[in-house]
Amino acid sequence: MNTLLKKEMQLSALLLTYLFIGFGFMTLVPGYPILCGVFFVCLGIYQSFQSAREANDIIYSALLPVAKRDVVRGKYQFVMFIELCSFALMAVLTILRMTLLSNAAVYRQNFMMNANPFYLGTVLVLFGLFNVIFVGGFWKTAYRIGKPFVIYVVVGFLMIGAAETLHHIPGLEALNAFGFEHLGLQLLTMFCGALLYALMTYLSYRKACSDFEKIDL
Amino acid sequence: MHVVSVSGLCKSYPAFQLKDVSFSLEGGQVTGFIGRNGAGKTTTIKSMLNLIHTDSGEISYFGMPLHGNEAEIKQRIGYSTGAVSWYPRKTIREIIRVTKGFYTGWDEEACQSYMALFGLNESKKPMELSEGMKVKFNLLLALSHRAEVLILDEPTSGLDPFSRDELLELFGELKRRGVTILFSTHITSDLERCADNIIYIRQGRIQAASAKQEFMQNHGRPGESLEEIFLRLEREARA
Repeated sequence: MNTLLKKEMQLSALLLTYLFIGFGFMTLVPGYPILCGVFFVCLGIYQSFQSAREANDIIYSALLPVAKRDVVRGKYQFVMFIELCSFALMAVLTILRMTLLSNAAVYRQNFMMNANPFYLGTVLVLFGLFNVIFVGGFWKTAYRIGKPFVIYVVVGFLMIGAAETLHHIPGLEALNAFGFEHLGLQLLTMFCGALLYALMTYLSYRKACSDFEKIDL
Repeated sequence: MHVVSVSGLCKSYPAFQLKDVSFSLEGGQVTGFIGRNGAGKTTTIKSMLNLIHTDSGEISYFGMPLHGNEAEIKQRIGYSTGAVSWYPRKTIREIIRVTKGFYTGWDEEACQSYMALFGLNESKKPMELSEGMKVKFNLLLALSHRAEVLILDEPTSGLDPFSRDELLELFGELKRRGVTILFSTHITSDLERCADNIIYIRQGRIQAASAKQEFMQNHGRPGESLEEIFLRLEREARA
């Protein structure tokens, strides 16, 4: 593990952020908008940003023998670590729902979105949006977190609403596939989600490095 | 070659301007940086650490420009500011354990000896320390990686007279080892004791940057102390 990520995990992060990874278990909740799990994971990350701000973390990091852009990189690495741990948990539980639990009545009679690869792709898009709106927004000032988080909450819930609605639109039922139905389409949507996540995170990181160079600490 | 060189530094804020700040620091010397509150000392120091985005100017350490060599330069310099609390709810031990991983020249023996000298307990958290002890903890972090240049912003503020005396002794010892020290302070009596050079800043502009004796000869009157010179210069400027 590199020193910057280690510093983020041991000094900057709150225990709460790690505990909130557990909201990935919402993947198993029947009759519930399971994408909300992403919101709680992001809320956990937000708490660490808040705590780090109170601990003068950014100035401390900027004084360490690293380039200024490396301070940004450390934060992104930490955020991605939490997001990908949550994603891994959600992916395992999704596989469980697609295999052993694929015929469980509580899931078969589920009006809401199913746990399937499309769900996982949407999870990644929601994390990507968090990285653009909240994490990227934070680096414009390196202290203001409320406004970017509120914007993310609004955009995130609109996205969750849209994702929950899609499979009710005639012709898009395949997005709510059970088990291994429509696997090709399902995997394609997940791949697109992963691609968007990588792209959004990268572009957000580039912009954050540039913004952080310009601000005064 | 100067160890530190600051040239043509400019920075504009809506209510304040740093104007063409230039000076250099020689190796193994202690330089006092004096000026009133709001004169531009901290802005200059923050610019020297790339914490502030300057409008123009160049900063170099050991002949290398800061921009492009930031990580390498920061391995060789130490910074400490007054009683700022880093990670108030973590123990000193935890903060040191993570911090030392960044420095190739971290000297654990020196760290432990400063810990004993400053009377710091590594089980304590910064939130449990007095203001003076926070200053000492910041100094410990700055001193433990064998920094060749120390930039200290108000390092003696909040310290009791005995601790201040110990710290000034320590500066003398570091100077003998070839460490270059720049420190800003309002306590000019500290500078009378240990400074080789004085940089005097007023309203964002350097008024004087010279050897202490030269500064006192050029600006002082017979029998005036550094503090009296500083006060008189400020009063004259206001009049």
